Amino acid sequence: MFPGATAERSDANFVIVGAPLDISTSFQPGARFGPDRIRKYAETFDDFDRRTDQFFSDLSVHDAGDLHAWSDAAEYVEFLSGELGDAVRDDAVPITLGGEHTVTAAGVRAVDPDVFVCLDAHLDLRSDYAGDEWSHACVTRRVLDTADEAIVLGARTGSPEEWERADEDDVTVVAPEDVADWDPEFDADSSVYLSVDIDGADPGFAPGTGTMEPFGLTPREMRDVVRAVAPAADGFDVVEVNDRDDGQAASLAGKLLKEFVCERAASNE
Amino acid sequence: MAKQQKQVRELQEGSYVMMDSAPCKINHYSTAKPGKHGSAKARVEGRGVFDGKKRSLSQPVDAKVWVPIIDRKQGQVVSVTGDDAQVMDLDTYETFTMRIPDGEDFSPESEIEYLEYEGNRKVV
Repeated sequence: MFPGATAERSDANFVIVGAPLDISTSFQPGARFGPDRIRKYAETFDDFDRRTDQFFSDLSVHDAGDLHAWSDAAEYVEFLSGELGDAVRDDAVPITLGGEHTVTAAGVRAVDPDVFVCLDAHLDLRSDYAGDEWSHACVTRRVLDTADEAIVLGARTGSPEEWERADEDDVTVVAPEDVADWDPEFDADSSVYLSVDIDGADPGFAPGTGTMEPFGLTPREMRDVVRAVAPAADGFDVVEVNDRDDGQAASLAGKLLKEFVCERAASNE
Repeated sequence: MAKQQKQVRELQEGSYVMMDSAPCKINHYSTAKPGKHGSAKARVEGRGVFDGKKRSLSQPVDAKVWVPIIDRKQGQVVSVTGDDAQVMDLDTYETFTMRIPDGEDFSPESEIEYLEYEGNRKVV
């Protein structure tokens, strides 16, 4: 259980689901251990959030455990989107712990947002990767089948095909050096989904991830984005954490999750 | 009570199941593969037959669920008053009043088909 996620499912305002999918990781595997690592390294965090003057355990967060993953990503995404959709139907915010970035497609399907905001080193705009359209390298492209618009913050690498796709009107790319100055401008009635691929961070801060990419974001830059977007976000995930470090990536992921919940809850008061 | 028990694995899209004490028509059925130490789970999504509300359940495939036995019946419209119609069941000759669904055109003498379950009726 994620520390402090003690609410009953029926009372929950936030529902955490672990999604340990780890089948298309193209370099260092281990994302299947992400959900457990994030929960484990969140144990050291204080329950009290001084900035928002709230106790995390008072914010009606429920941890529904993991949805065991299997080898058919499309089928898994479909099943997971149904589970997350139950939370949406109960007026709760679904929070997914990855797992490879592919699981984001399930959260987006469940929430059906207008705008998809993503912290990521990669564009993930390939139509397929090595013939696999459900690869983690294609998730933003898959998400655009549901969302009208994607904003990728911190992206610093991609193929020519991806940069070409990123030039279209429905994609905005914000380079790492510009993220600190980025302000969200959502329409008042827009539904937003926020995804954090932990590799958006510089590998020095989060080495435990499948495809490290230097020249990345600082934890504080990522935190500020999460705080800025959280009030408008109807769904959240943090993905691509693996077990190949001493807990740095998982610790950052867990803390960003807590920041999201505290900010989202405070904005509702 | 007109219902029977079945295993979740026996359900299929288009059939009925009780969810939250309401009879629902299944419009989506998917299964999650079991891990080494778990059993396969099924997810069933459906809509209430009489209230149109979306409901879902997620249970192991060998779990037991209730399936409502919904009667499909024939009736004849006797008279129409505003939004209500008086209908006679062509099997039992019982007459009852029912609300005319939006978009339906009822006129006396016309025959209709309807679903009935524990006093709830819905035109097919």
